Amino acid sequence: MHILHGRVALALHELSRRDGPALLLLHALFGSSADWGEAAATWPGAVFALDFAGHGESESVLGGAYCPEMLAGDADAALAHIGVAAIAGAGVGAYVALLLAGARRDRIPAALLLPGDGLAGGGPLPDFDREFPSFTVGARAPGECDPMVQALDRDVRPVEYAEPFARAAQRLLLVEDGTPRPPWWEAARHGPSATVIHTDVSAALQHLGATQITDH
Amino acid sequence: MSLRIVVDVTEPSFPGAVAPQRRTTVDSLGLRLNLLEWGDPEASPLVLTHGMWDHARSFAVFAPLLADRFRVIAVDARGHGDSAWAGAYSWFTDVLDVINVLRWVGRPAVLVGHSKGGGQATDAARAVPELVTKLVSIDGFGPPSLIDEQPLPVRFAEFLDQRRRQVQRGTWRPYASLDDLVERRRAQNPRLSRDWLRYLAFHGARVESDGWRWKADPLMAHAIGPWRPEWIGPSYATLRVPMLAITGSESDTWGPLPEPVLAERLQRVPQLARCTIRGAGHFVHIECPAETAQAVLDFVRS
Repeated sequence: MHILHGRVALALHELSRRDGPALLLLHALFGSSADWGEAAATWPGAVFALDFAGHGESESVLGGAYCPEMLAGDADAALAHIGVAAIAGAGVGAYVALLLAGARRDRIPAALLLPGDGLAGGGPLPDFDREFPSFTVGARAPGECDPMVQALDRDVRPVEYAEPFARAAQRLLLVEDGTPRPPWWEAARHGPSATVIHTDVSAALQHLGATQITDH
Repeated sequence: MSLRIVVDVTEPSFPGAVAPQRRTTVDSLGLRLNLLEWGDPEASPLVLTHGMWDHARSFAVFAPLLADRFRVIAVDARGHGDSAWAGAYSWFTDVLDVINVLRWVGRPAVLVGHSKGGGQATDAARAVPELVTKLVSIDGFGPPSLIDEQPLPVRFAEFLDQRRRQVQRGTWRPYASLDDLVERRRAQNPRLSRDWLRYLAFHGARVESDGWRWKADPLMAHAIGPWRPEWIGPSYATLRVPMLAITGSESDTWGPLPEPVLAERLQRVPQLARCTIRGAGHFVHIECPAETAQAVLDFVRS
């Protein structure tokens, strides 16, 4: 189905329709809902996967203004359709999941943060020598992302910006494997509700599902 | 309810205001930007960028005062004036628009911006110093330090709520007459004459079947993000072209910044000149076009 955020029609895929707690999946930068494969096959309720603007089967943002806050608006438009849901995000989707879990704490009982493309963004502080790259972009090719989404790999993600969202979130699960995580992630890990787990994506989603069954 | 629509479509005149000699459009990131030009097309270029909710015709008195010496090119920013509306807005893409206009001009230009357009002109000059000979910012030095009255997640939720409402609304309410728009604009330009306000409102709005509407896109009204005013000063340190910083002497809704805040930011500019226009508020070039144009010409000559 398609939902609207502002002027952009977004593809929201309903992957499963079971009775039980709902799950919303948010893919990584340059990715799409197809990346989740069968990862959420054992989820105990309805599963939705969103294509962010400029990705997958969603429309591009005319004029190319992409930032995590707008992606959070994309995901919030999906929540307006779904209702209360746990969310899982990879890469830039993990950062969006943190923002949303803090801002919509009454509608998001838990958020799972996974690594992936666009996880670090432009780092914790502005780099005044590389803010405005001289990139020229062409049109979006069929089946590809809007080339302007690369802006999501350079937005600044300060620790002190991430911290209040981590404090407000009901429950955060962070998947780690020993590889480095960006500073905003470290802030999320220090949130009062945060738990670190060391598993693959499917096991992490099962873990998230188990917490939702308990809470449901 | 019946709304009496006054369709007074005759273009208002104002002493000193000159219609542009040429109009053109430039594609930037898939959007059509509207450009107005005054002066000899072979003369050395000078690019003007306006502020939030304003439009290129607001330079109609200022630009002709520079057109003896320059090919003056005033840009309608995306979502403003006769440029196209975007799907969403960001500072980053606004600055890329200015850079794309400079690339389109193809010769190093003097770059002059007002308010938000001044801040974006400054960022464009930092990004492509090879395309900018000199920079003039007219009271475009950012907001004072932010006072966060609500916790960030609460403000973020309000931002999301506004995004949801925007989907349902998406357009301005219509005004019954141009005079209603004039009154609205008077609130932020209290020192301007009625004729000048009428000129500015006329070109900032269009008449539709149910009344007058601002041309500027209401979608720009709401934004949130990690950006801090404390980043402005350090960004100025990377500026490689000379900057003239123009402010007005009078306090009004949008400026100027308290002098200690402004001085602290501007002291980071490697090559800085400053100029205060007596009697002007935030809209320096609209309130005192002759004095502001003279300051720009003196700076370019220096």
